[in-house]
Amino acid sequence: MIELALHLVVLIKVVPDGKEVFVDPVTFTLNRSMATNIINPADENALEAALQIKDQTDAKVTVMTMAPPFAEPFLMECMSRGADEAVLISDRAVAGSDTYPTSLTVAAAIKKMGDVDIVFAGEKTSDSSTGHVGPGVAEFIGAELASYSRKVTYENGYVTAERELENGIEEVRIPTPAVVTILTDSNDPRRATLRKKIDAMKRGIITWSLADINIPADWVGLRSSPTVVKKMLPFPRKDRKGEKIEKEKIPELIDNLVKSGVIRVEAE
Amino acid sequence: MAEMKKAEPPKDVSQYKGIMVYLDSFEGKLTRAAHEMIGVGRKMADKVKEPCIGVVIGDKVDSMADDAGKYGCDEVYGFESHDLSMYRSRPFTDILSSMVFEKKPNILIVPGTKNGRDLAARTAVRVQSGLTADCMEIDVEPETDILIARRPDYGDSTMSEIRCEKHRPQMATSRPGTFDLPPYDEKRSFKKEIRKVELKKDQLREEILSFKPKGGEDITVSKVLVSGGLGMGNADGLKLIEQLASIMGGSYGVTRPVADLGWAPRDHQVGQTGKIVRPDLYIAAGISGKPQHIVGMMDSKTVIAVNKDPDAEITRYSDYVINGDLYEILPVFIEELKKRKKMKDKN
Ligand SMILES: Cc1cc2nc3c(=O)[nH]c(=O)nc-3n(C[C@H](O)[C@H](O)[C@H](O)COP(=O)(O)OP(=O)(O)OC[C@H]3O[C@@H](n4cnc5c(N)ncnc54)[C@H](O)[C@@H]3O)c2cc1C
Ligand SMILES: Cc1cc2nc3c(=O)[nH]c(=O)nc-3n(C[C@H](O)[C@H](O)[C@H](O)COP(=O)(O)OP(=O)(O)OC[C@H]3O[C@@H](n4cnc5c(N)ncnc54)[C@H](O)[C@@H]3O)c2cc1C
Repeated sequence: MIELALHLVVLIKVVPDGKEVFVDPVTFTLNRSMATNIINPADENALEAALQIKDQTDAKVTVMTMAPPFAEPFLMECMSRGADEAVLISDRAVAGSDTYPTSLTVAAAIKKMGDVDIVFAGEKTSDSSTGHVGPGVAEFIGAELASYSRKVTYENGYVTAERELENGIEEVRIPTPAVVTILTDSNDPRRATLRKKIDAMKRGIITWSLADINIPADWVGLRSSPTVVKKMLPFPRKDRKGEKIEKEKIPELIDNLVKSGVIRVEAE
Repeated sequence: MAEMKKAEPPKDVSQYKGIMVYLDSFEGKLTRAAHEMIGVGRKMADKVKEPCIGVVIGDKVDSMADDAGKYGCDEVYGFESHDLSMYRSRPFTDILSSMVFEKKPNILIVPGTKNGRDLAARTAVRVQSGLTADCMEIDVEPETDILIARRPDYGDSTMSEIRCEKHRPQMATSRPGTFDLPPYDEKRSFKKEIRKVELKKDQLREEILSFKPKGGEDITVSKVLVSGGLGMGNADGLKLIEQLASIMGGSYGVTRPVADLGWAPRDHQVGQTGKIVRPDLYIAAGISGKPQHIVGMMDSKTVIAVNKDPDAEITRYSDYVINGDLYEILPVFIEELKKRKKMKDKN
């Protein structure tokens, strides 16, 4: 039997570098104009997880993002690290989409490709951080899902992944087509190479509009998003009295804390 | 599997009534996060005078259903099968979605554990509704039956209020630790219905090969936490933090940059992208008190700040403030506590 090359798709989102983000107080959307952008950290790990499978098996890796054209250099960066192909879904109509239309649009592009075996997403982004898009895509394309994973391997039509949960590590096995969401810091992303960068420049980026993936414009965007950001509120400040304690008074403070049961001093 | 379609709002939202709470469990027990959500659901149910409906899925659910009723659910639906002893994304989504279609709740809240977030995100797509993640506040407006969900932002000092006005159910998750536990009432009456489920092969394609419980401490259950920030200056500073924590039988926490630098494991990070803790005592040493850290610890009972800078933001969120170098202050705490231990030993 001839094994066809695996098709792996990595979803990436370009996010503002944490320290410089703020939410526009008028439109309630992220104001990116002041911030430098980066590839969402977990997505770098997702790309690396896909490339590690490609190191072992005959596979094609496609990176994809739904974003304005400013994302192009980041797609090029992914190809310079080893992705074979880059797809930009770009359409004015998607602006303001919440996670439902975002998942729908990404899923439609995956369906258009037709032959996708494994989709890699980040566990969550560093900006709005919902973690909805990976599971949402799995639901739309009808794939099995292993969320919050690290150490993903592929063999004979099955993906094995270690899901890191609050109380332990669960090892699961799911058949393809599969979606895995990858934990931040779960591997060491490789660097770009000059040769791959030159290759990437030759290949270029594939751009699709909504029409290319058969999504009507009125299915997406702010107006077709179930959730709406209504207002911004000040951070809930629970101010406390902030009583100043001199170093010499620490023994007294400890006595009070022991007396009120906040600290328990057990005998050794 | 969801239809590839836009999210269609129902024609008549007034048909949707009640607050549904998904009850996340582990090894046959409801999680703490599930109990927190029962408390949130109960409060909203009282406000709008609609039932609080619990849904629990597992291999043996009877005692969990009782637990949910005694903590505040009016109706509890349990789904039982040997194949459901551990969370599996597809069958759990199938069951929760079918309950949404059957009961038509106005609101559905889900504990924001990892499995809970997985389930909520899939279910929102399946039932074509909106989901707000990581809410710090969840409430309902009685006049309109609209869910008010508030989540922290990325930048400094703001929270967004998110609403899902047209679609139902209005969904939200919250990080574990965000809310207090509701009161337990042994005598509370509630309706319980356990249903046995037969799953089809195509619902069970996910196979769980193994589960290894995580060693190490869970900082969300510690009564005392001593946390260190960048003010430690180096990775070795953590030793002092740990020493003070262990003398009080507690554990240690850190800020995000400390975890980023690899000075401490990510499991110990407190804050918006770490854990939410509410210990009896929280000592913040060398921590400036940025909002993303504060959201993770602001419900601690007593907070002590140790900082070189007398005007650091953390002072506003602290009961007691000790101005000085943590390398001079923390050893005083350690010595004093040691003295008291020795005295106890003698007695
Ligand atoms: C203040 C504010 C709060 C918000 N809160 C919510 C909310 O609670 N609920 C909600 O539904 N929406 C919310 N949104 C909208 C949300 O930011 C967008 O839908 C966003 O496009 C995707 O959400 P995320 O960044 O949380 O992605 P996540 O779900 O956290 O992303 C997980 C992974 O999915 C992939 N991915 C995500 N976005 C893309 C993309 N554009 N292209 C390709 N792959 C992608 C990446 O691999 C990523 O790592 C909010 C927006 C703002 C401004
Ligand atoms: C999207 C997003 C999510 C985030 N999530 C989190 C999160 O989950 N948790 C988190 O903690 N942060 C988070 N952050 C980062 C957060 O904004 C702050 O940058 C971080 O909390 C600051 O850490 P720090 O207090 O350790 O360091 P700094 O802000 O550098 O503060 C160091 C403090 O130590 C004091 N100090 C210095 N030397 C000494 C000494 N010898 N003795 C005593 N005091 C001394 C200084 O006066 C200062 O107050 C997030 C940021 C973003 C953008």
